[in-house]
Amino acid sequence: MDLTRRTLLKTQAAAAAAAAANVTLPASAQNILTGEDLQLQWSKAPCRFCGTGCGVMVAVKDGKVVATHGDMQAEVNRGLNCVKGYFLSKIMYGSDRLTQPLMRMKNGQFAKDGEFQPVSWDQAFDEMARQWKRVLKEKGPEAVGMFGSGQWTIWEGYVASKLMRAGFRTNNLDPNARHCMASAAVTFIRTFGMDEPMGCYDDFEHADAFVLWGSNMAEMHPILWTRVTDRRLSHTHVRIMTLSTYEHRTTDLSDMALIFKPNSDLAIMNYIANYIIQTGAVNREFVEKHCNFRLANTDIGYGLRPDNVLEQRAQHANDAQVSNASSFEDYAKLMSQYTVEKASELSGVPKERLEALAKLYADPKTKVMSLWTMGFNQHVRGVWANHMVYNLHLLTGKISEPGNSPFSLTGQPSACGTAREVGTFSHRLPADMQVNNPEHRKHAEEIWKLPHGLLPEKVGYHAVQQDRMLKDGKLNAYWIMCNNNLQTAPNTNNETYPGYRNPANFVVVSDAYPTVTAMAADLILPAAMWVEKEGAYGNAERRTHFWHQLVNAPGDARSDLWQLMEFSKRFTTDEVWPAQILDAHPEYKGKTLFGVLYANGEVNKFPLSEIDPAYENREAKAFGFYVQKGLFEEYASFGRGHGHDLAPFDTYHQVRGLRWPVVNGQETRWRYREGYDPYVEKGSGVQFYGNPDKKANIMGAPYEPPAESPDAEYDLWLVTGRVLEHWHSGSMTMRVPELYKAFSGAVLFMHPDDAAKRHLRRGQEVRIVSRRGEIRSRVETRGRNKVPPGLVFVPFFDASQLINKVTLDATDPISKQTDFKKCAVKVVAAATADAGDVQ
Amino acid sequence: MSRECHISSLVVHSRPDRVQAISERIGLIEGTVVHGGAEAGKLIVTLETDTESQVVERINAIQLLDGVLAATLVFHHFEPVQERE
Repeated sequence: MDLTRRTLLKTQAAAAAAAAANVTLPASAQNILTGEDLQLQWSKAPCRFCGTGCGVMVAVKDGKVVATHGDMQAEVNRGLNCVKGYFLSKIMYGSDRLTQPLMRMKNGQFAKDGEFQPVSWDQAFDEMARQWKRVLKEKGPEAVGMFGSGQWTIWEGYVASKLMRAGFRTNNLDPNARHCMASAAVTFIRTFGMDEPMGCYDDFEHADAFVLWGSNMAEMHPILWTRVTDRRLSHTHVRIMTLSTYEHRTTDLSDMALIFKPNSDLAIMNYIANYIIQTGAVNREFVEKHCNFRLANTDIGYGLRPDNVLEQRAQHANDAQVSNASSFEDYAKLMSQYTVEKASELSGVPKERLEALAKLYADPKTKVMSLWTMGFNQHVRGVWANHMVYNLHLLTGKISEPGNSPFSLTGQPSACGTAREVGTFSHRLPADMQVNNPEHRKHAEEIWKLPHGLLPEKVGYHAVQQDRMLKDGKLNAYWIMCNNNLQTAPNTNNETYPGYRNPANFVVVSDAYPTVTAMAADLILPAAMWVEKEGAYGNAERRTHFWHQLVNAPGDARSDLWQLMEFSKRFTTDEVWPAQILDAHPEYKGKTLFGVLYANGEVNKFPLSEIDPAYENREAKAFGFYVQKGLFEEYASFGRGHGHDLAPFDTYHQVRGLRWPVVNGQETRWRYREGYDPYVEKGSGVQFYGNPDKKANIMGAPYEPPAESPDAEYDLWLVTGRVLEHWHSGSMTMRVPELYKAFSGAVLFMHPDDAAKRHLRRGQEVRIVSRRGEIRSRVETRGRNKVPPGLVFVPFFDASQLINKVTLDATDPISKQTDFKKCAVKVVAAATADAGDVQ
Repeated sequence: MSRECHISSLVVHSRPDRVQAISERIGLIEGTVVHGGAEAGKLIVTLETDTESQVVERINAIQLLDGVLAATLVFHHFEPVQERE
């Protein structure tokens, strides 16, 4: 490459960055290169990683993805990419990619104690179907289950939901999003009667203050963070306040950091509510017109096994979800206990800082955007924490308008689009409907053209309960797709791994890589990923976006969509449905599940000729119809006209996503507010129409302590989480050499004083021990995360340091989401016996 | 192994009161050029490196400079270098 070419490329690079940043460069640097990219075919796709939903442009050359860059036309990221998104092109090409089914075998047949051997898809599905039929016959539908994903495409989640609920007649279907955002989803329904945020990312450009509740946005949502910093830099009055249990990149960059003791965020929010009430900052008109008051049941336990003393001692462990109608006066009385002194004492945050934060919420002229992710959601009182932040926005009327926005960020690319909207939770159906509501089941049966009474009403096992039931031998045929649960579930050594290896169980894992979960299974199915299939995701701001299949998956790897639909062909209705239903509806007799679920006249009504000829579509070719379109259109009929309207299928292949409800071709940016949301009646101003009386619920709840706190022996708080370079359990990012090198092994972040007290040096190997188990790691007293004395932080991406052997399987008792942010541990030198050795 | 040349660009959001100092510090890092953007607090920076890993290393170094709010990649291009050059 000669110098002129280097200069030219640099000019082009600078021009691209300037355009993305909306910055004007000196004239000499403005020559945007329009040269063609030789032999590269560029297409759009959303990023594969977090819930932000950035648009990327993907270049394909000779059947391989060779480059990606931020999509200038994508509203979410406007040409920017974080370091993970930048290396997206490499996630599919790890050297240990799975390319054929692998089954544990001995003497040519399946054996639980056998070694993995390559098998054909037919062999794999034959054995799997045999095991499913055995379990269904011996124990019935409740012994069959599936653990899905917020990384499934919309149609994959939809196909799985139909197969499990209508095919096998069980609601034992839960997504890994249970570990991630169940608290957020449940509280949306409890407060507004409808899931997902009222606002959107446009709020970033309108807010005067950003309050980050336990969210390290600079590392976890770097592109959204650039929108926050852009706003902060261009408007000097804007403030960023960050609450966290330790200091990190985001607290460094904030105007004020409030470092609080684990769980005391509840007390801080109640104090702010109290401040709003005491200072007369309640927006009386808004509250009277648009809100109801309720008080939650208290002393609700910690979602542990029922024989745990903490559950037996709790007064409302069994009716944690119940709340009672109340009044403003009773709510104000409950809040009045939370004085600034009490909040400061519980949280350890100085009073002046708490007051400064309360003022932001109370000042009617300050538009506040509250942002949160796992800090709230992975919390034994996660539902309450979500309620409490809505309370602040509802009391002040700061909601559903530009800049005033309580905003729940998400961790997975389609936690909203698939896990929540499609309804792959053990209690949900599409479009916010619930399995235990007979009207909702009837409606689903009608859309699915299935006999009445087919869908089971009993809520299925949630994620943590699935692990427990596998261990206890009550759940025996189990399929894990698109997640790495053995690494990410809590207390895995005691509650997850034993269930996978329980001889009574047959465990199947579909994945692209040999994760620890896959290696603990009986059958591994190789999966196609990301642009190896046509897909659709829904991001955190209700944006539905699509991509085409751009390359073929390697070897025999096939998409989850194909796997689910192909597997359904191996069952007939006579084998899995009760005789009385078939007798009453003989037209369903003798048909395959594929026939009644997918070749039902709706899903298979779009021919192959409707597929864009520029793109491959393996699933459509395999089944003979435009599978994705048929599934999407049938699914969309659940929400159209009910506030969940999606645009026609083909539209999404053209646009960079649209935020639902999409009515008359228009997306909706702010829900529940007249002038923005077509569902709000003229003259009403605001309507929270998810609830029958069109009002939102302000829910009063107290501070309650965590399930486990440090004591004399286990004297440190353990907090787990992510780092910028790696996404979740690292199954994909650890296979990108550049990301692996940038942060190759997990470390234990510890305060220098705590290290000194234990005679530990930076870099020394240590044991992190809890009542459940232990792992080894190395001490880090510097670096990006600065923890306070008494607390340690360990990221969970590293499969060689399974921190979830140490964590506690306590959940929020209402949402059943695990609290990964607090348990008690001790840290000791790894080789105490060698302490006397000279080294 | 054949050598490569990597050209990439970043947007570096910086605190206005530190932007001048940050711009100078970035200029000292090998292979970097600051093209402008100081007035908006968004420095436009290009990197020229031999490997992709160095791209990540440089970004991390820039991220950690005092007053840098975010350093974000926008563009990347690489091609082999002829040994004769």
